[in-house]
Amino acid sequence: MEKLIHLFIPRQSNNHKAKILHSSSLIVIASFFVVFQALINFLPRFGPNILGYASQISPDEVTRLTNQKRAEAGLSALTYNQTLAGAAYTKGRDMIDRDYWAHTAPDGTQPWKFFTDFGYRYKYAGENLARDFSSAQATVDAWMNSPTHRDNILNSKYKEIGIGVTEGDLAGIDTTIVVQFFGATYQDKVSEPVAQVQQVKTPVPTLAPTIVPVTTNLPQVQAEITSPQPNQQVLISPFNTTRFASIAVVLLLLFVFVLDAFLVSRRRIIRVAGRTFAHVAFLGMILTVILILRSGKIL
Amino acid sequence: MKHLPHYVSLIAIFLAGLVGFYVFSYDKYFRVGIAVALSASYVTWGVIHHASHKDICWTVIFEYIAVSILGLIMVLTLIFRA
Repeated sequence: MEKLIHLFIPRQSNNHKAKILHSSSLIVIASFFVVFQALINFLPRFGPNILGYASQISPDEVTRLTNQKRAEAGLSALTYNQTLAGAAYTKGRDMIDRDYWAHTAPDGTQPWKFFTDFGYRYKYAGENLARDFSSAQATVDAWMNSPTHRDNILNSKYKEIGIGVTEGDLAGIDTTIVVQFFGATYQDKVSEPVAQVQQVKTPVPTLAPTIVPVTTNLPQVQAEITSPQPNQQVLISPFNTTRFASIAVVLLLLFVFVLDAFLVSRRRIIRVAGRTFAHVAFLGMILTVILILRSGKIL
Repeated sequence: MKHLPHYVSLIAIFLAGLVGFYVFSYDKYFRVGIAVALSASYVTWGVIHHASHKDICWTVIFEYIAVSILGLIMVLTLIFRA
């Protein structure tokens, strides 16, 4: 009890300032955060696989939301294409199996290879990637907030879409990856040109995309992507755990700062210290930032 | 009230940072830049404020640095963990 008072109440033993608010204590708390993050990073190497992001993302819902955004922009809906979905799912599995998170694989394999592997002879093709989002809505919202990904979603050159949702271990953490493939074949009629579109790959006129023999069992892939299995083994979300710890620490410090200022003012103690209002404002801003941040990465 | 402009500027810096975090939600490294800039601005504000108030000393400066480091680490861990 005596130690708690020393920690939270200003008095002579702590030089009339709650011990937890001393610079040394704040640095110790910051160090704990660093150690905590290191533990989260190293835990998968030594312990059971208990870290991950629980999510329930349906490919149909991603397609529906994508078409909803296009409709709001006055564009035609994309047709769901099973071949593109198979290619997207295979790209997602490739990232899980070879443990990378990028448009281009470590060996230089471009995303367009997955299109051609599945026999999709594209005229225009595009790819959006997302991971660790909790819902289809959060995924599409994140893409729409990014100018380059939004350009893909709102590109009038694309006529078809395929979504691949896959789960697996990526760098030791159980992850849900969403791969969004856009395409238009030479048979599709493109109605209107787009002035500036990023992440759109058009084949060089003299080099038509080479059709590589299909090596993937397409029916089997399609069966898998239509029945995604929710992950039942996820116990700890690294992001949510860190977020919860951060919120708890900030709220505690805010409370102690206010209590400390109140007691010091009432006891008319004169001391050399920073401005409580400034510290509270800074921590309030940090708390707001923590609340704004959401899990999920896009690429 | 004498230092009201100081506090108004501090709040304005924080609000600008919050708007930046919200608007550039898709750009991780821009967010990192905003977080670092906010922490540095906070320490700078503390130094300028206390210097103009003529009560600056290393204890006070370390206090601002400690608070800013703690806040920065919490935000950075979440940005890279997200």
